[in-house]
Amino acid sequence: MDKKELTVEEAFELLDSVVERLEDQETPLEESFALYQRGMELLKLCNEKIDTVEKKMMQVNQNGELEEF
Amino acid sequence: MERIYSVGQVNTYIRTMFTQDFMLRRISVSGEVSNLKYHTSGHIYFSLKDVSGVISCVMFAGARRGLGFLMKNGQKVVVTGSVEVYERDGRYQLYAKKISLEGAGALYERFLALKEELEEMGMFSQQYKQPIPAYARTLGVVTAPTGAAVQDIRNIALRRNPFLQIILYPAQVQGEGAKESIVKGIETLDAMGLDVIIVGRGGGSIEDLWAFNEEEVARAIFNCTTPVISAVGHETDVTIADYAADLRAPTPSAAAELAVADVRGLLEQLALCRRRMEHALASKTEAARGRARQCRMRLSYASPESRIREKRQLLTDMERRLQEKMTDRTREYRHRFQLLAERMRGLSPLEKLCQGYSYIRDDRGRTVTSIRQTHRGSMLEIRVTDGSILARVEEIREERADGQEGTDSGGSI
Repeated sequence: MDKKELTVEEAFELLDSVVERLEDQETPLEESFALYQRGMELLKLCNEKIDTVEKKMMQVNQNGELEEF
Repeated sequence: MERIYSVGQVNTYIRTMFTQDFMLRRISVSGEVSNLKYHTSGHIYFSLKDVSGVISCVMFAGARRGLGFLMKNGQKVVVTGSVEVYERDGRYQLYAKKISLEGAGALYERFLALKEELEEMGMFSQQYKQPIPAYARTLGVVTAPTGAAVQDIRNIALRRNPFLQIILYPAQVQGEGAKESIVKGIETLDAMGLDVIIVGRGGGSIEDLWAFNEEEVARAIFNCTTPVISAVGHETDVTIADYAADLRAPTPSAAAELAVADVRGLLEQLALCRRRMEHALASKTEAARGRARQCRMRLSYASPESRIREKRQLLTDMERRLQEKMTDRTREYRHRFQLLAERMRGLSPLEKLCQGYSYIRDDRGRTVTSIRQTHRGSMLEIRVTDGSILARVEEIREERADGQEGTDSGGSI
């Protein structure tokens, strides 16, 4: 699966299922390590998508260019 | 003589004339509503008046489908129906089949017609609705740059997610050129590849909101590849744009709520996910370590090394016991030996010799214990502690058991 294609929404859904599977007592250890790694990747992905830089509101001017609103 | 008719005959005659009149059979009359009465039977009685006069009207319950709004006195309406004679009262009335509001009413008619048309084309179909992304990073807004709507959207959107990039297309939302401006705005923002677009404006009259009922705007929304949330006017205002949009928000503020995820909640959720995963893995690893420890212990119990050690221990034990037993035995035998030696010493003839006893043999080596074994002149060997004495028998005396002595042949030793 190409992770670049995942939306935050999908990543969250996957993350949910990973966590659930990981918390399942029946899940074998070996699989758990793989799940953990997958979960961490998904977390990273989500965190990357949610960038935490505040931005100025922009508007499209008459020339079709962006300027601060 | 003039012919005289009955009232009924006249009224019937006039009624027939009205009925045969092509124009009166289907006519639209405009005027102001007065004397309005919604009857419990479902019929509606009212009058239409204008500066020049009044006409009575009735809409029967069976024709009520032709009325799409609540009529009120003073409304300017257009009534379509037939003019017929009510014979009993000798009055003619307008029998309404359809009543619509003049002006705004006509706009509403257009609205309904367009809505029906676009609906039939499938433009409002649920299958074309795009989901609104759960987490939008970029938000496009097509609305007027002035006014409350844009401020409401900005405030609420940034409160929910201060990291959101908002791009406004400042559109003209009412009056001449409004629909073109809105369409341009949708197309321009769609080309930017944003996550979601809000199209809307604040409240206003039906004429003010009209641009959002235009087919071009509906089409632009429908064709927009970016999910569109419509937000036109107030809760009660529903426009064609609302039907065409992927999601309808009752107000611009509500649209911002729907478009923008609460980022703090999202970040908390992520942190919680991380904690849960770490905890789950840690407890699992710990459990596995515990099991490994247990296995190692059981394995070491079961290993040959431990059994060898056990056997060696057993061997040492046995060796020790053997040793002890041997020592005990030796001591015991030594003791017995000493006792016997002691007893032997007591019984030893040599010992006796030491006490002054001696032991006598005859010349043939036989032990002499009785006087009967020798006679005078025989040689006897007397053994003492350090050697032997050879002696000759001189006399033999018998010693009786009763203590009397008898002399046999004299001679003593």
